[in-house]
Order: sequence, then C-alpha cells, then structure tokens
Amino acid sequence: MIYIIDDDRLMSECLERYLRPEEVKIFGNAIDAISNIDEDNPKLIFLDVLLDGPDAFTFLNEIVSYENTAKIPVVIVTSLNLDEKSMQAYGVKKVLKKETLTPEEVKKCLALI
Amino acid sequence: MLSEVDGVLVAAHELKGPLSLIRQLAFSLEYTDSKEERKKIEEQMIDVSSRALKQVNDLTRISRIENGLFDIEPVAVRSVCDEVTAELRDLFRANHKNLRIDYRNRSRLVVGNRDLLHSVVYNFCINALHYSDEETASFLTIYDRHENVRLEVRDFGPALPMDVWRALKQGWLEQPTSIAMRPGSSGLGLYIASKFSKAMNAPVGAVRHRDGTSFYIELPASKQVSLFQ
Repeated sequence: MIYIIDDDRLMSECLERYLRPEEVKIFGNAIDAISNIDEDNPKLIFLDVLLDGPDAFTFLNEIVSYENTAKIPVVIVTSLNLDEKSMQAYGVKKVLKKETLTPEEVKKCLALI
Repeated sequence: MLSEVDGVLVAAHELKGPLSLIRQLAFSLEYTDSKEERKKIEEQMIDVSSRALKQVNDLTRISRIENGLFDIEPVAVRSVCDEVTAELRDLFRANHKNLRIDYRNRSRLVVGNRDLLHSVVYNFCINALHYSDEETASFLTIYDRHENVRLEVRDFGPALPMDVWRALKQGWLEQPTSIAMRPGSSGLGLYIASKFSKAMNAPVGAVRHRDGTSFYIELPASKQVSLFQ
C-alpha cells in the first residue's frame, strides 16, 4: 500500500491516478496517517509539507523514531523550496515540486519501494 | 494597505496552488478511461480556475475601493448567500466536504454593496473549505443581531491561530502576510474580505472554537424591509 498525505484532496487524487493500479490510501492530515500506519505498513509515502495540524516535519520525526516505520521511503511533494539533501536527515528520499511535477516523476518513485 | 510589490508577491503565491492543481488535473485526464471520471476532472478544472479568477478579480477591485467606486444600497442577503452556496457546492463536494446554509434572519435586506458582500461571504466559505476536515459540513448562518444582520461561516477543523484571532479582534486586517500561519495560504481571502467589509463600514471578526472557527460580518438591517413585510 502507498500513502498520500496532503490537505488538498484534488491533488492527492491526481497522484492516485498516476500510481494506478497500486493500492493507495489518501489522508488529509498527519494524525490520521499516524493512527493507521502500524496496521497498514505502507511501502511508500508521498507527503505534503504544509498540512492542517501537525506538519510534515512532525510526521517525519514520528515515523523515524519507531523501528517498524523508520525505513519507509518518503517522497515530499511541495510548493516550498526545500533542499533534497537537508531533507535526507528526515529519511526523505526525494523532493518533488508541485509546480513542475509530472506523472512520470511520480511513477518513477515506485522504484524506491 | 499592501505595497505594490507585496501585492504582486501575495497574488503570485495564491495563484501558484490553483495553477499547479489545474496542470495536474490536465495530466490526470490521460490516466483514466472512465467517461464519468473525465467529466468529473473537467468540472474540477472549471471550479478551480473559477475560484482563482475570482480572487484575481477581487484583487483588482481593491484598487477601485480606494477610489470609492461602489454604491451602498439595500441588498437582499439571502439571495447573495444562495448564489455563493450554489457556486461553491460542487467544489466542497469534490473535496469530500459540505456547505450548508441556515437562515434565521427576519430582516431580508441589509445596507451594503451586493458585489462586495458576495465576495466577503465567498472568501469566508473558501476559507472554510480550506480549513475544515474531510467529511464535515461548514455552516453559513444568517441571523438578526439587534439592529444588524450577521452572516457567519463556521468550519470544523484546526482552531484559528491566536495571532490571527487577535489581529481580527483589533479590526480589519491590513496585511495578508500576517495571517500566513494557516497552511497553504497567505490569508489573501480573509484580507480581501476584510478590505471589502471595511469599505462597507461593516465589522468582521472571528470566534475560536476548540474544533474550528467562525468568521462573521455584520451589516445594518435596511429600514426598507418594513415596506415588504
């Protein structure tokens, strides 16, 4: 299963279409994702940074602090200017810019699994 | 008041979101064979672009406000609210949210400007769309309050940050950037609502709830109402 965490539902649905036929779960906030993560054990996470409630950094700190979730590859999808190298400390494998994002870039991330 | 450079920056920031989304929706069309889903995506593209265009129109209207180019007249408040909810219902539905309307007012006319009031209510509702949780309904409620009519939009989501609440408590917002704390927005919608309310001399405010926020505008009830009752 793949997680998409973004407070913009329509953007999440676009990513979900690119990833078909993979099984995808969409979350509008980090709290709901954290509550399900142990049960679902997702193999890849697409994560927006500015979320309602706890932001992406809170979410990343949470998942890297537990053994069973620390190794899940995370791809940040954002309109902020974030440096990929500095995000590696949080276990982030890739940073995709929302403005220039293409379906091919999203599909390429499946190789991270 | 925003400087020209600030205004351009804020407008650019606000337009980045809808433009990125329209681009992704356009890509999405190639990733579905279902006619129904294609139609849904096309409708979403229209809704998102309409919302962005409305915001650009509002920004250009702010400069006209400075020149006082608008009339104050009796406005049928329910008809304005009906228009706004009709415009936004599909957008709320597409985001797995709902917008409900609750008329409790006896006064049917308020003193204001129809276009400006439409924009204020529209921006409050867009704000609710942005900050309400999925599978919740936001409520647009209209009720009498002494000699005034209050239009209030209540969302159910993260509580409004204290600094935004304080800024609104002190009166109309003068800078959109000061309310950037709610994610994904520079607060331009609330700034526009604030500017338009000020032009009508109508107070705006926010009420913090533990499970969300209410934004309101209050306008004097028109005395002409008695002619119709």
